[in-house]
Amino acid sequence: MSEQTPYEPRIVAFLCKWCSSAGSDLAGVSRIQYPANATPITVACSGGVSPQYILSALRKGADGVLVSGCHIGDCHYMEGNMHARRKLYLVKELLEFAGVEPERFRMSWVSAAEGAKFAQVVRDFVEDLRPLGPQDKLNAERP
Amino acid sequence: MIDLNALRTQAADILETGEVGAVIGWRRGSRGMAAEPVAIVAPEEAASLVWDPTCFHNLALYLVEERKKPAQRQVHGGKPIAIVAKGCDARAVTVLLQENHFGRDDVYVIGVSCEGTGVLDERKLAQVLPGVEPDGAAFDGDNFVFATSEGERRVPAREAMMDRCLECRNAHPKLNNVVFGEETPRDFDAPFAALKRFEQRPAAERWQFWQRQFERCIRCFACRSVCPMCYCDECVVDSINLVVTPETTAAEKADRVRWIERSASRADNIGYHMTRALHLAGRCVDCGECERVCPVNIPLRLLNNKMEREAREAFGYEPGASIDLPALVASFRDDDPGQFIR
Ligand code: SF4
Ligand code: SF4
Repeated sequence: MSEQTPYEPRIVAFLCKWCSSAGSDLAGVSRIQYPANATPITVACSGGVSPQYILSALRKGADGVLVSGCHIGDCHYMEGNMHARRKLYLVKELLEFAGVEPERFRMSWVSAAEGAKFAQVVRDFVEDLRPLGPQDKLNAERP
Repeated sequence: MIDLNALRTQAADILETGEVGAVIGWRRGSRGMAAEPVAIVAPEEAASLVWDPTCFHNLALYLVEERKKPAQRQVHGGKPIAIVAKGCDARAVTVLLQENHFGRDDVYVIGVSCEGTGVLDERKLAQVLPGVEPDGAAFDGDNFVFATSEGERRVPAREAMMDRCLECRNAHPKLNNVVFGEETPRDFDAPFAALKRFEQRPAAERWQFWQRQFERCIRCFACRSVCPMCYCDECVVDSINLVVTPETTAAEKADRVRWIERSASRADNIGYHMTRALHLAGRCVDCGECERVCPVNIPLRLLNNKMEREAREAFGYEPGASIDLPALVASFRDDDPGQFIR
């Protein structure tokens, strides 16, 4: 990062194929403006997001990780997001316990119809991450 | 007080009648006073079994080993294996049963109650009796009694017990075919006492603490080797997750996903320990063995306790409580906490 370029948080976003990924598409086709800080990775279901994905993204230098799936009750696989909610709660708690800023991991439920909500989630996340500066705790490449 | 002879007789009897093919227990070891794990197959060998404050090993580990070696099973004629189990060990067997590692009829649990004490923490003993190297240890009511060259030394168990024993909630093995010793009321530390103290420290301090701890890890994997729940044939930190054949190209090898490197760097150590804590969530029975064997004294219990407490408070889940429970992360409740999700 050179001195002229202001710091821009890098977000890795795991989006479920059925809802949140479609929601992000809708944000795009609706031409809703939102920051381009998130790198989306489409997954079959939020329930398939292994804690390993989150740790790995942080290890490789992500400043924040977002996991987004269908609202409770709307999971394409009936209960995948219920599993995600429980499993990733533990990840959230563990990161916080170790002293990693809790703002660095975020979850949201965004349906295929919620393009505006998706844009807002990303906007908020970027704003919350900015004051924290680069994530250097779990980053393997930190100076 | 447990009558050691009764325990030996029981072991000999079930071997004699052929009810079990082997008994996993402890015998006098070769390292000072410490006991060591042993598997006996003949009734005569039962006389070598011991039960004393140095029986800290979680023997459930050897049930897992047993299952991994089909040849060994033939030696025991496919008969059930008996295991001498403390409260924590019995919880470990329960988790293994929950996970269908073997059937309830494949294992015969000889429970031993820790009653009003627990097992010895050798690091604490070195503080309490500096410079003394006892030849033997025994339980006596609320005390540990050590045989030394200068005669008997009596130490209140509370001062030399493992931390995990101080916080133990089921010192009396719930899962058992037969049990020795009483279910005595215990009055030591509240469960999760150390965890609660640690959690009160500010986030920056917690990070400083863990950073220092994780930087010291040498990745010897003793913590993983000793854990009965770390039974995967392939661990995420091993480099064997790809089948390499003569046809495997260099590009394929290079493209293999490496979630965590084996090198003992801080980031990879954190990756290893966080992954381990998460894989053990709802499964770790707090036997404390990982912490005991760590050569650089990393407080691993704290991490696992954190997951255990969250499982209990957020999901009402208690590891090792019942064979019929589904795994923590393979189940959910409609009212699982979700306020943190936007
Ligand atoms: S036993 Fe200790 S040093 Fe060895 S891998 Fe585990 S934490 Fe690291
Ligand atoms: S993680 Fe440690 S305390 Fe938990 S079951 Fe494994 S060895 Fe025992």
